[in-house]
Amino acid sequence: MAISVKVMRRPEAGRMSYMRATLKGMSLTFRHMVRPTKVTLEYPEEQPELSPRWRGTHRMEVHADGRPKCVACGLCPTVCPANCIRLVGGEDDQGNRYPIVYEIDEFRCIFCGMCQEVCPVEAIHVGQHFENAEYGRDRFVYDLDRLMEQDHPVTQLWDPSDPRSE
Amino acid sequence: MADNGRKAETVTLTMDGQEVTVPRGTSLLHAAESIGTEVPHYCYHPGLSAPAQCRICLVEVEGAPKLQPSCVTMAAEGQVVHTDSPAAKRMRQGVLEFYLVNHPLDCPICDMSGECMLQDYVFDEGREKGRGREPKRVFGRDDFGGDVLYYGDRCVMCTRCVRFMDEVARDSRLTVVERGSRAVIDTFFDRGLEGASFAGNVVDICPVGALVSKDFLHKARAWDLDHTPSICPNCSHGCNIELHTRDNLVQRLKPRENQEVNGHWMCDYGRANYEWMNRPGRLEAPAVGRGSDRRAADWREALELLFASLSAAEGDVALVGSATCSNEALAGLVALGEEMSGGEAGRVFRSPRAADEVPLPGFPLLVRRRDLVPNSDGAELLGFERAGNDDGQGGLEHAAEHGGVVIVLGDELVDQGEEFGANASLFVYLGTFDTAAAANADFVLPITTFAEEEGSFVNAQGRVQRFQQGLRPPESARPAWLVLGALVAALRGEETPGSAPEAFARLADAHPAFEGLTWEAVGDRGAALIAEAVHG
Repeated sequence: MAISVKVMRRPEAGRMSYMRATLKGMSLTFRHMVRPTKVTLEYPEEQPELSPRWRGTHRMEVHADGRPKCVACGLCPTVCPANCIRLVGGEDDQGNRYPIVYEIDEFRCIFCGMCQEVCPVEAIHVGQHFENAEYGRDRFVYDLDRLMEQDHPVTQLWDPSDPRSE
Repeated sequence: MADNGRKAETVTLTMDGQEVTVPRGTSLLHAAESIGTEVPHYCYHPGLSAPAQCRICLVEVEGAPKLQPSCVTMAAEGQVVHTDSPAAKRMRQGVLEFYLVNHPLDCPICDMSGECMLQDYVFDEGREKGRGREPKRVFGRDDFGGDVLYYGDRCVMCTRCVRFMDEVARDSRLTVVERGSRAVIDTFFDRGLEGASFAGNVVDICPVGALVSKDFLHKARAWDLDHTPSICPNCSHGCNIELHTRDNLVQRLKPRENQEVNGHWMCDYGRANYEWMNRPGRLEAPAVGRGSDRRAADWREALELLFASLSAAEGDVALVGSATCSNEALAGLVALGEEMSGGEAGRVFRSPRAADEVPLPGFPLLVRRRDLVPNSDGAELLGFERAGNDDGQGGLEHAAEHGGVVIVLGDELVDQGEEFGANASLFVYLGTFDTAAAANADFVLPITTFAEEEGSFVNAQGRVQRFQQGLRPPESARPAWLVLGALVAALRGEETPGSAPEAFARLADAHPAFEGLTWEAVGDRGAALIAEAVHG
């Protein structure tokens, strides 16, 4: 099907006036001069308020005794669409399954939050956090210790009072 | 199944509205299988007796007052069976709910997760949510000895493991103790499964994660593993196996069913010996030159130099093969020897041998053989003579001091010193690892292991069996049949075999024992060689 083209007729040259539009624009400008709407933040002194669903760098939850909650079930590396999680499972001295190696490459990560969604023990979370700058690229592979040290609030992927968004 | 003297007889029944004809004496479970319907089952295993105690294979048979266990109910003429009727489905859902009453649902930390029959069936037809409110009973885990761990909480009491030890291993070491919800599988006193030769099979047949392998514990998830059909390389019986690999490493070996060779089983010795396939430090690039003249070369250069050396070489040829090599590789070596010496070339191989055989009493075909290498019978068929002692050492005095051409294939020469091949006019070493004895080699060529190539072995029954490639070979290692095939082809002025099937076809042409066999005929399940060619 051909694209239909509607030809707009311009008003004739002598009958055009930009006065109305100019006044409208200027009124907005003056309104902002008198009563400004502030958009710019004085970052970093001022911090933005992040949405509860903000998905930033990861955080591993820990038990009261400092062990990671992760049981190395292997679901997050399986579900991860960016293939950025490396996990080697093992057994600790109390016979619990735990991750010997747990690494997330935050450069590869696309912050979809599926690792948090799939985790059966609520161990790995994406966080409400965005300040990730580092001096070297190698620092972006977060190992287990680093993930456990992160202390920013974790993302709420759904409203606990309405988990199915009904 | 149909060995009751009425073999020709068949019965026709209606299964899920489909007419199906099966031999008399076929269970409903197998009849359903023949139309592609899998009836859930735990206690039934084709290699064991059927006690019909798990109650999950119940199906509706019209006219019968109650649902019938399909694993022991034999198909009868005119029967009308429903595997998927509301009654059968409701019953299965109920049985599954009972199984989950005390099941810990610890799938995230269970090694069976991903290949667990309880997981599969509950996912297919179980309730969406559990209704249990009472606390679950907890047993913890028990070390059964050997390679086996028992998690009592996960057990569904199918007793496959107990029946395997009783009926197949004929070595009753497991039993059910207590009753009802307190029932667990246990060993007798402290004896456990330690020292049993086939106990690893109970891990394979356990439908849930109750019996797990200590070696494999927490090592890999089932869905991460790639399965490659292969042949067990740890004795000359050649059990059909699968290599389970991840990250280019073999993680475990599992038996593959073949009623002609190993049934559903394999021995613990074979199962445990896989780490050598993952051994690092392999030969990675061809090298030419003796001693201090040794330098790395690429394949083209190495083969061209070797071709020139072979064409110019004088003197007799001594060949040292290895029974870890495929038939195709050994036949390539034989062909090269013939091309060089115009006839007979001394051919030897060495093989470590166990003191005795270990048979599986309940499945007498399966025997852990004395030869602890996969292809000693193939090597003998191809004219290699056994040398050395039962540790696979010694016996190479002739080759070590030989003055002509010495070609070593696959034998690591661990017991040989640096003076090996010092007198040789040309010494070619094709191997997977560098070794002190290869110091005098003019050519060191890296080849692949059986796990990294396609090929075939001849087992102790005189059966040719194919294996497939499961691992990626290191750097520029090449299959030995390709290296030797290229040299033979260059000497004869013909085409290089481009694939293992082609190499096999040439082998079948050249050796009467393999006459008439084709790669396709060998297939996944192997093919027997003609009887008179097989000795012993």
